[in-house]
Amino acid sequence: MTVETALATQVYQLYIKGTPERIWEAITTPELHAKFFFGAQIESTFEVGTHMLSWSPDHEQIWADNVIEECEPPRKLVHSWRSLYDEELAAEADSRVSWEIEPQDGGYCKLTVIHDRLEGAPKTAKNVSGGWTFILSGLKTVVETGESLGPRP
Amino acid sequence: MFKALADPSRRLLLDRLFERDGQALIELEEELEMTRFGVMKHLHVLEDAGLVVSLKRGRKKLHYLNPVPIRQLYERWMDKYREREVSALLDMKKGVEASA
Repeated sequence: MTVETALATQVYQLYIKGTPERIWEAITTPELHAKFFFGAQIESTFEVGTHMLSWSPDHEQIWADNVIEECEPPRKLVHSWRSLYDEELAAEADSRVSWEIEPQDGGYCKLTVIHDRLEGAPKTAKNVSGGWTFILSGLKTVVETGESLGPRP
Repeated sequence: MFKALADPSRRLLLDRLFERDGQALIELEEELEMTRFGVMKHLHVLEDAGLVVSLKRGRKKLHYLNPVPIRQLYERWMDKYREREVSALLDMKKGVEASA
């Protein structure tokens, strides 16, 4: 079994203090999304079947053109994923990202992000595996403090 | 989390999942020469610590490594080290400037 196959499904889970609505807002509102997603500027109505565009902070370069597959605010968002910020990665097959928010006792939510269907995108799998933990730590910080985590060390 | 990582069998389970993520209980059992009960018990501790997440995939329950807690640990301690470096440099600056 190669490393590439082993990374075909990636699972990230963390607890965030906040309501599901607040976490949903952070994921889907452009200003808040930019604070934890490398400054990416997103454009989407989040209607199923429509596109979610993601631009570089200066709006010069397109980073992603993903399709919304499921949208159940404030619990579940599923969209396709193709990394357009790199030519080699852009040439690979589409994969899929699912965000699931489950409220817990004590004012916390459990957020599970699953990046799967990466079988046809081994380079993307390798590329995103370090990024997700940083992005999700940043999301937690944005929801809990309103601040961004700062540049990646 | 430290308690979860302290046990060699549990570290071995994490190593197996690192090599191949998303394994069922029966697969982990075969690789580890441990009783099913033993593997279940250890997986339970790892899940409680947030290091492993289990997901229903079809009829199977698969176990995945969750790298987020380790990342959070890194941020927590690395930030402390960085603060210390910065404060040491600031102290040096004060000392150099005072003697100048």
